[in-house]
Amino acid sequence: MRPRVTVLTIIALLLATGASMANPGGEGDADRDYTCGGSCHGDPALSSPSDGTVTVSVNPLAFSGTATAVHVTASGMSLSGNRLLGVFLLGSANGNDDHPEDHGWNILQDPNGGTRNYVEVVVPPSGSVTLTWVMLAPVQPGIQTLLTEIHHGSSPNSNNWAYSALTRGYVVDVQPVPENLPGFAFDWSPETRVTGDDSPTVIRTRNTTSVSVQWMLEDEWVPHNAEVTGEDDEWHAMLPATIGDIRIQYQVTTSNGDFSIVQPWLTVATEPAAFDGEIWGARIQALAFGLLIIAFLLSLQARLSPWEGHHELDHSEEVEATESPPEEPPGLEPADDYWSRMVPSEENPGWLWDPVEEEWVADPNNPPEGGV
Amino acid sequence: MFGAATFHAAMAEVVVGSMMLATLCAMGCAIATIFPNIAGGILSSDRVMVTMDKASIAGALLGLMFMPIAALSGSFAADNVVNNALLYNKFVYTGLAFGFWASFVIGRVRLGPGVWQHRSLSALQGATAAMAMLMTTMASSIGGKLVRGESLFDIMPIWLPSDSATVLNPIFSAVLLLVGIAALVVVFRLGPRAERIPLD
Repeated sequence: MRPRVTVLTIIALLLATGASMANPGGEGDADRDYTCGGSCHGDPALSSPSDGTVTVSVNPLAFSGTATAVHVTASGMSLSGNRLLGVFLLGSANGNDDHPEDHGWNILQDPNGGTRNYVEVVVPPSGSVTLTWVMLAPVQPGIQTLLTEIHHGSSPNSNNWAYSALTRGYVVDVQPVPENLPGFAFDWSPETRVTGDDSPTVIRTRNTTSVSVQWMLEDEWVPHNAEVTGEDDEWHAMLPATIGDIRIQYQVTTSNGDFSIVQPWLTVATEPAAFDGEIWGARIQALAFGLLIIAFLLSLQARLSPWEGHHELDHSEEVEATESPPEEPPGLEPADDYWSRMVPSEENPGWLWDPVEEEWVADPNNPPEGGV
Repeated sequence: MFGAATFHAAMAEVVVGSMMLATLCAMGCAIATIFPNIAGGILSSDRVMVTMDKASIAGALLGLMFMPIAALSGSFAADNVVNNALLYNKFVYTGLAFGFWASFVIGRVRLGPGVWQHRSLSALQGATAAMAMLMTTMASSIGGKLVRGESLFDIMPIWLPSDSATVLNPIFSAVLLLVGIAALVVVFRLGPRAERIPLD
């Protein structure tokens, strides 16, 4: 019976290892080609078509070098326990050179506040999520194609498959930019702020003589006007600090008298404050804790151990054994000498006079009246 | 050649594996001492006790030897930069694990195998091994969290604080380190000496 239980236990443990998946916590936001260039889940044996629906919303007309927004909505897909969804924004689906930047686009901001073409998000309980990339259109005019792909898991997922879906190509006609059209500077991208930082947000533009900025909290409907200062295509907008999970969106309007262009909504990208620990501090703290633990536990062991010996520094017994008894201090003479010097007194029966100490002492052989 | 992260993973597996063996055997010895009749007295038989005792000390020694290598390779894998609370806590839990495991080994070496014949000492050794294993698994689980975004502790009821770190000022840590060294000197030089417990 016992060997059978042991064998069954071992088999159960071995089968349990098969239930694990590679990187179920995701790979993190990154710059990736279609299906990560064919690695991992690019193998058809490791992937399966998604049951979700993906829609893309993008203006089919864009002017070269100007900002345009690409909205991707994914819904209805099965998800793994952690509800993680990976979304690619691609310029092609070849497995290499698929990044939109390989096709002339410049990502100003991805849905997570970075500048990546692959992002991972946790899908809310509604099962639908909309992600927005804000990009500068290619400088070279022409017909461009944008595609999106999603990756997700499923629960249960006995085959450890990745479920994926690739949309059709959405065509964007990139036209030459009208002369003197105001917009963002080509080399500008929204800066990332530390949580709690309310310093002015720097916006760099071109062909712009005035800028207005509106901001609102995510899920808010009515925008607020932000104070903007600056000149010569460098502007400072006063946006409130972001704290915790609160996200602030802002929209920039660039004007120059001839044109007034309302740019896509951007998100104030925030990151946690820099961690203030450093490696030597961690090492010293760890070693200090370790030594304190050792000292405490060794003390406890010594306290609990059935030890019957003596402390190595305690030599009292040896000292007592070797030393002779101390001499009596002077003055404590033998009793016979003491009593022999006493002088009896007839006037005070029962008392003896000590001429050395000059005091009366009770006579032990004839105690005073009332004495014992 | 291979990266520091790969080497660290291999060393961490050696540490966790050998220390898991040590923990199981130490707790087996402790349980056998406290409950001599458990499992029909098989656990507390001389043969099983000697085997578990030797396995526990061997596993703990092996783990202790590899722990500095694992810690150093992990440090190199992180480019010697601590930039988040998880990583900082990994160092702290490693230090705590080292303290518990070193105490376990020193206690066993100083007191001898007779430590398992003494109920309170046996319980202390078992508890020390259990705490040491908890600290070791916390440190290694944080590694899983950092690399894979998940760890076995996600589905277990025990999860010690790791998302936020108590960062002590390095000067205060250095003072604590000196206090720790002084405490060890006191324990070894001035405290009552723990002598080898004679076997019955």
